[in-house]
Amino acid sequence: MSKISRRHFVEGTGAGLVAATVIPLKAQQGSAPAAVEPTQTDPSVPRTTIKLTVNGVERRVEVEDRWTLVELLRDHLKLTGTKIGCDRGECGACTVMVDGKSVYSCSQLAVWMDGRSVLTVEGLAKDGKLDPLQEAFIEHDGPQCGYCTSGQLMSAKALLTHNQHPTRDEVRAGMTGNICRCSNYNHYVESVLAAAGRQA
Amino acid sequence: MNTLKTVGHPTSRIDALKRVTGGATYTGDIQMPGMLYARVLRSPHPHANIRKIDLSKALALPGVKTILTHENCDIVWSSGDTRNKRFLFNNPVRFAGDAVAAVAAVNRHIAEEACRLIEVDYETLPFVLDQEDALKPGAPEIQAGGNLSPNNQGKREPDTNIRGSIEKGLSEADHVLSDEYRSVHVNNAQMEIRASLAHWEGDKLIVHASTQGISNCRTDVAKDMKIPPEKVEVISLFMGGGFGNKNQCHDFDLMAAELSKRAAAPVKVEFTRKEDFTAVHGRWPTKQYYKVGFKKDGTLTALQMRAFSGMGPYRKGAGDISGMEVYQCPNVERTVSTVHTNMAVSANFRAPAYPQGVFGIESLMDDVAASLKMDPLEFRLKNMTREFRDTQAYTSNGLEQCLRQGAERFEWKKRWRTPASDTGPIKRGVGMGMGMFPSSLGRSMAILRVDSSGTYHLHVGVTDCGTAAKTTMALIAAEALDVPLAKVQVVWGDTDTCPYSVGESGSRTTVMTGQAVVDAAKDLKNQIATKGMPKGNDMLTATADSNPVLRDAARYAFVAHFAEVEVDTETGRVHVTKFVAAHDSGRIINPLTAESQVKGGATTGIGMALHEELLYDRRTGLPLTAGYYGARIMTHMDAPDVEVIFVQTDDAYGPFGAKTLGEPTIIPTVAAVANAFFNATGKRIKDLPMTRDKVLGVLA
Repeated sequence: MSKISRRHFVEGTGAGLVAATVIPLKAQQGSAPAAVEPTQTDPSVPRTTIKLTVNGVERRVEVEDRWTLVELLRDHLKLTGTKIGCDRGECGACTVMVDGKSVYSCSQLAVWMDGRSVLTVEGLAKDGKLDPLQEAFIEHDGPQCGYCTSGQLMSAKALLTHNQHPTRDEVRAGMTGNICRCSNYNHYVESVLAAAGRQA
Repeated sequence: MNTLKTVGHPTSRIDALKRVTGGATYTGDIQMPGMLYARVLRSPHPHANIRKIDLSKALALPGVKTILTHENCDIVWSSGDTRNKRFLFNNPVRFAGDAVAAVAAVNRHIAEEACRLIEVDYETLPFVLDQEDALKPGAPEIQAGGNLSPNNQGKREPDTNIRGSIEKGLSEADHVLSDEYRSVHVNNAQMEIRASLAHWEGDKLIVHASTQGISNCRTDVAKDMKIPPEKVEVISLFMGGGFGNKNQCHDFDLMAAELSKRAAAPVKVEFTRKEDFTAVHGRWPTKQYYKVGFKKDGTLTALQMRAFSGMGPYRKGAGDISGMEVYQCPNVERTVSTVHTNMAVSANFRAPAYPQGVFGIESLMDDVAASLKMDPLEFRLKNMTREFRDTQAYTSNGLEQCLRQGAERFEWKKRWRTPASDTGPIKRGVGMGMGMFPSSLGRSMAILRVDSSGTYHLHVGVTDCGTAAKTTMALIAAEALDVPLAKVQVVWGDTDTCPYSVGESGSRTTVMTGQAVVDAAKDLKNQIATKGMPKGNDMLTATADSNPVLRDAARYAFVAHFAEVEVDTETGRVHVTKFVAAHDSGRIINPLTAESQVKGGATTGIGMALHEELLYDRRTGLPLTAGYYGARIMTHMDAPDVEVIFVQTDDAYGPFGAKTLGEPTIIPTVAAVANAFFNATGKRIKDLPMTRDKVLGVLA
């Protein structure tokens, strides 16, 4: 089997970016509104404290430099709505929005999120009211097994953020990075078109 | 068919809210205090003896708790091979991906690192990938006793069915046509990454599994861990698909259980996506040789298939090849050899024996029709099975309506032209395929309780792998009880709280567990009629252990699919531009989720027809395309709009007349696409998938 894991690959190619985006701990502490939340870090590996906004809430967490964003969300912030389908940027189950754009959270290191704003499926509903996309997904039976659904929702959300009235083909193109092996693509596309109509 | 109050109306899933808010908890989402993470080290060779395993460096890594190998663990995974003894860890290793060691550590990074530190000394052995090569003299022996795996009678012979006489049928024929077809290993590729979380409470084992059947999973785990079934609890509340590769207990369930026992801590085993593609199983590759005899008017006189299924090194699946039975013919012979190879293991994938077999027979029949210059629709209407499956009468058969209604919706008469009619570089064509799938009756259970608030608690052992089984059961209960759907609460997915259910395989849940729900509801209604509704803390309970038997009759679901393709003869790209799926699945309990099943199954089948494959390097015996990109799994951009027709025949069996649906949805899809390609180009690809290189090859 391969000796290079996806995680090592991300770390390797991302090393320069990590160095550029990590803010020194002291500078952060000066403006920190909250204490650093406890996470289960391994003291023997490099760690960094970052400040990020998750679903509208500002959080300060210590992360291992090798953690991916999806690892931080799922294992340490307990936001398990975001799923891992391949852990190597192929399937889209881990799609979240970072600063308004959809990204594969398996292919982003957690330390890169310093100063960024992350939206996950748990943050879609506002004040107990579902997002129009969520309503449409229920009505049109978007999810079958449901495992790719969070990713489909976040890709759709990003699409509608930038293109409020997409055509059928634009929906297909905008969401083609999100695989559904139940292959319920027809119903996902119907859902997004219905939600776009509802937004108008 | 009469209209019912609750059943038969499009209804959103009762758990849809959880599925769209991130609130559905899958196995991999569960964390427990002190939980360890486990990773598996796998063979990099297709066939090798393990001389020595050195764990010293791995065990010295801080955070590593326990390592299992064949040297210290001799657990047999009984459902991993029904013919040979398959251990959790085998020596020799027999395919690239065979498990060598499992490591439990305090986090997944350490577990992964420990796998890299395990030193294994292999003695590589000759290997064989192709099932026909594996039967040749001098081929490497993969299992003791030879590479031809025993048939259903336990004999090392092919499975053979003969009706009438092929010789007689061929001698009566005006024409005889022979041909051969090949299908490849394609992976189920369900989205949920494989995980199992096990922990022990004293001598009781609790497994959070990702399984299509909690009851069967519990039986298997208990058997292989050598503990009584009542000491095992299997929980699977939400699961992210399986399409047949999560039918029984799996090696990762047993690894989690054993690691947890030895480490005295909860253990979560996780597989990577690459492991999922190479080390679990996919659809069995086949080579099919046909001979057909027919009269000038298109009447079939003889139909013969001799075929070979590649099972990989372990016999996890049946290896059957089906499809011929949809044609009426007096003289039939069917011979299938199930063969061991050093490829990835092959076993169940949505209608395991069908889409590849139907691709073969329906390609051949299309050629027969073309040779007689007959419309493929008329040819099928002439030769389709009508009254009998061999000698047994069908309880109902909506195949003709599927063909006629599907053809009408598809505008077959308008779209079908003689092959290769288009003259430009883009060629359009249409094709069809038809099939059938057993819709047997059988044993399943349900418990129904009503309390004084008028809430009905339905306990059913379903896991709902995406089929909407929970919702289907609730709809059936509401209808049978004559109460609103909102009054029914479903308890599911836990062997400690749910009775036996058949498991979501063979598309049996709606018919079998659904019948138990109907029976329990009848009982409960009778109790309410005599005792009145319960008051205060009282409760009425009805239990059904249903096992209806069908006497001397054949119960089948039927299907016909119609596809239009556009072939770009310059680039070799084939795109499906129109698709109609017509199904006789008896009464449809929930048209909304049933449509999802059909659209999904057909779309998956298009991928199998056009591009999906776990490709192997013939020189090294290693898989090359283990992943979503490499295996070219269908995406949004590839998926056409699928139009769905339900032909609702009523045979008075099953809950409100429901027949099977989930698996028939993929059965004739590959054939319909392949036949459309033929109609567009006048050329036939007999070797799946129909990738661009093959397209350009046949057009050259």
